Amino acid sequence: MLEFRKLTKEFNAKRAVSEVTLDIPPGQMVGIIGRSGAGKSTLLRMINRLNDATSGQLLHDGRDVTALKGRELRQWRNECAMVFQQFNLVGRLNVLTNVMSGRLFHHGFGTSMLGLFSAHERAFAVRALDRLGMAHVALQQTDTLSGGQQQRVAIARALVQEPKILLADEPIASLDPLNAKIVMDALRAINVEDGLTVVCNLHTLDTARHYCDRIIGMQDGRVVFDGTAAQLTDRMAREIYGAEAAEAFNEALTSTSLGRASIRDVADATRAQARATV
Amino acid sequence: MTALSFADITDDDVRAVRQSHPQAFGDPVMRMVRIASWTIVIGYLLYSFHLFEFAKIFDSSERAWRLVSRIFYWQDMASWHYDQIYVGIAQTVAMAFLGTFLGTIFALGIGFLAAKNTMPFGVIRHAVRRLLDVFRGIDGVVWGLVFVRAVGLGPLAGVLAIWISDVGNLSKLYSEAIENIDRKQVEGVRATGADPARIIRYGYLPQIFPVFLSLSLYSFESSTRSATILGLVGAGGVGMIIIERFRAGMFDQVAFVVLNILIVIAVIDWGSGLIRKRFIGERGH
Amino acid sequence: MPPIQPGQDPVALFEAHRAEIRRQKLWINLLLLGGFVAMLLWSIDVSRFWPDRLAAGVPRIFEYFGSVLPSFQWDLLFETRNAEGRFPPGSIGFWYNDFWKYLALIWETILMAITATLIATALSVVLSFLAARNLTPAPWVSTAARRFLEFCRGVPEILFALIFVFAVGIGPLAGILAITIHATGALGKLFAEVNENASMKPVDGLTAVGGTWAQRMRYGVLPQVLPNFTSYALWRFEINVRASAVVGFVGAGGIGAELNHVISFYSDDRVTAVLLLVVLTVTAIDLMSERARHALIGKEALK
Ligand SMILES: Nc1ncnc2c1ncn2[C@@H]1O[C@H](COP(=O)(O)OP(=O)(O)O)[C@@H](O)[C@H]1O
Ligand SMILES: [Mg+2]
Repeated sequence: MLEFRKLTKEFNAKRAVSEVTLDIPPGQMVGIIGRSGAGKSTLLRMINRLNDATSGQLLHDGRDVTALKGRELRQWRNECAMVFQQFNLVGRLNVLTNVMSGRLFHHGFGTSMLGLFSAHERAFAVRALDRLGMAHVALQQTDTLSGGQQQRVAIARALVQEPKILLADEPIASLDPLNAKIVMDALRAINVEDGLTVVCNLHTLDTARHYCDRIIGMQDGRVVFDGTAAQLTDRMAREIYGAEAAEAFNEALTSTSLGRASIRDVADATRAQARATV
Repeated sequence: MTALSFADITDDDVRAVRQSHPQAFGDPVMRMVRIASWTIVIGYLLYSFHLFEFAKIFDSSERAWRLVSRIFYWQDMASWHYDQIYVGIAQTVAMAFLGTFLGTIFALGIGFLAAKNTMPFGVIRHAVRRLLDVFRGIDGVVWGLVFVRAVGLGPLAGVLAIWISDVGNLSKLYSEAIENIDRKQVEGVRATGADPARIIRYGYLPQIFPVFLSLSLYSFESSTRSATILGLVGAGGVGMIIIERFRAGMFDQVAFVVLNILIVIAVIDWGSGLIRKRFIGERGH
Repeated sequence: MPPIQPGQDPVALFEAHRAEIRRQKLWINLLLLGGFVAMLLWSIDVSRFWPDRLAAGVPRIFEYFGSVLPSFQWDLLFETRNAEGRFPPGSIGFWYNDFWKYLALIWETILMAITATLIATALSVVLSFLAARNLTPAPWVSTAARRFLEFCRGVPEILFALIFVFAVGIGPLAGILAITIHATGALGKLFAEVNENASMKPVDGLTAVGGTWAQRMRYGVLPQVLPNFTSYALWRFEINVRASAVVGFVGAGGIGAELNHVISFYSDDRVTAVLLLVVLTVTAIDLMSERARHALIGKEALK
């Protein structure tokens, strides 16, 4: 259980996140929506402490996350993997090394500086890539891949962390519709098959409605909506998005008729895509 | 293939993946190359530590301590002959300024002789370039000593040494700047029916001038640094004072002099930044 | 530019304003020119660059360079040792009588430069991560590292060499230490600038993985900056070879001591013999390193 207690973040005088109080039970897939600048990224980055809260508390299974330091903090980060809008992979390293970097927490100084990964880690990383249909590019330099492929590599890296929680900050905002669907399907499949808690910032309403068990709407740093997709009326949504409403409604990335896919389907789709491009 | 866990990866799994994705376990040739190159580097370092007797560092603690404590503990500051120090520093700056000025003037001519687009005769160009290699290949201190032998002790030798080093460096840089010139701008001026003088004035100069100025300003700063040590071989400037007082064990005074020089160089750096900004704008060199 | 009043001619106003600006600029430029001329006259005076001294000095320069040129006798040019084991005057062998001694010293000079460059590169990689403002573990660490690097590159090699000769004694070790420190300062600054231009996204990615500071640098930054680091280190190697050829002037090893000795005590062809070897070595190393750097950049550009 992830418990937010009046979590607040101020940048200089500006309140990016304002007294957010929430409970997220394990295994839930949560979508956070809101216009840009609403504080979604800041809220997410406070969970794995890429940003530190100004005040308030975040508890995970009773442990105070906001107070963690040093190795315990890194362990917590290792437990809640993150996927970014811009993938945040190391472009000049190959895909496999990027994925294996998800195991760095378990490494000492020496082995990580020398870049020594065990055969087990290599096999595990290949398995994770294979799960996302990306094993065939394992040795390619990462920045030669397309955005959709890089995001799947990033998810594979998150998987080898064996996290309890997966955070995704607008994971599909830089992707074309087909890749956006593949990536969202993968996140949902991981949520269902591995039982991970997934907290996902989404810009488009449709995607959130389609994939998430629960939607949280943010406005000016505050939570203004918290409920299921069915409970989110159009009027409410328009208010959350304000001037950006037209955009958020129109960018209907996913078609509901396609239905949800299992991760096996994701992998198959990817392989088909790969064959088509070869 | 659903959820995986690292703990569940067995040796059989590893074997299976090794079979399906052999390259994922590293190219053995590449690994050998990598190990070999690191071995060479580390082996070389160990060998050179031995060859150059790095162990001596640990025997030197007493002398090093004496030196360091004298550097930081300033004694008898009233008797430091500040007039000599500041005259020396002034002389160093003057040597650097004059040397850079003369070097710039010569390099203005020689730069055009060494650039491909302004010197069509390859023989001359190459001869000039080799001569410049000689000028640059010999360090300023060596030139200093050579000129001390030729014209005697004093700042004249220092100016000549800076001049010759700067001719070597600046000519090469100038010629590169000339070669990198944008032909289109020159063509544009020529298209207006301008005479050769105007082509140079409006086609070449506006492109070259900022780069040349910037290079010469940098050169002045770095020449001030080299002028500092020219005194070590008797070629004038504050270096003579440094070596004199160092030999006499007055390390505190040496530290004071060096500190002053660093400040002067910082001031020159700041001043040339202002000039650069005025004539070149923010884009710099 | 004042706002245009009704009834004023905007063109005339513009021209007047332009003339005003030009006048101002002219004044400042004249002032700068005056300062420049004054500085020039002052420096001529201070460095005693007077016409009479020049008139006396310049002929002596030519005299000196004339005396240090080798005098060849064409028929004896490739003569080998005679019965007494000596080369006849006028042969190349006579000019380079001490060739093997020089070569050994040049070899030592190059090894000194290699060792110093390797150590300096390793040190400055670590220091550059500490000094880069975007990567430093704490702001005060960055400031401290910057000040330290400034000090290292502010003091010339040969001064450090003087100090180390005093501390560890005469010999190449003092030179290596001196060059290492100075090169660490220069490279550390350049590396830190490269680091500050690196993308922080991969670093964020590795923070989110739970990586330590060292792991973030090793995996997030190093792959981005390594080609630039290599290129700068090679360029520094060229400079270090030059430096290690002169630290010998104060007893810190390499060919410098011989150079100093030969130039100070002889004015014959020995001077050009040593100088030529130094120039050839330095130029050859410049050439090789430049090739390597271009190959490196070319490889990068293809990617
Ligand atoms: N590093 C920062 N420094 C200053 N202000 C920031 C910083 N990061 C975010 N903000 C501000 O905080 C607010 C929330 O930003 P963010 O969490 O990125 O919103 P969202 O992800 O919903 O678009 C914005 O007004 C933004 O300008
Ligand atoms: Mg955001």
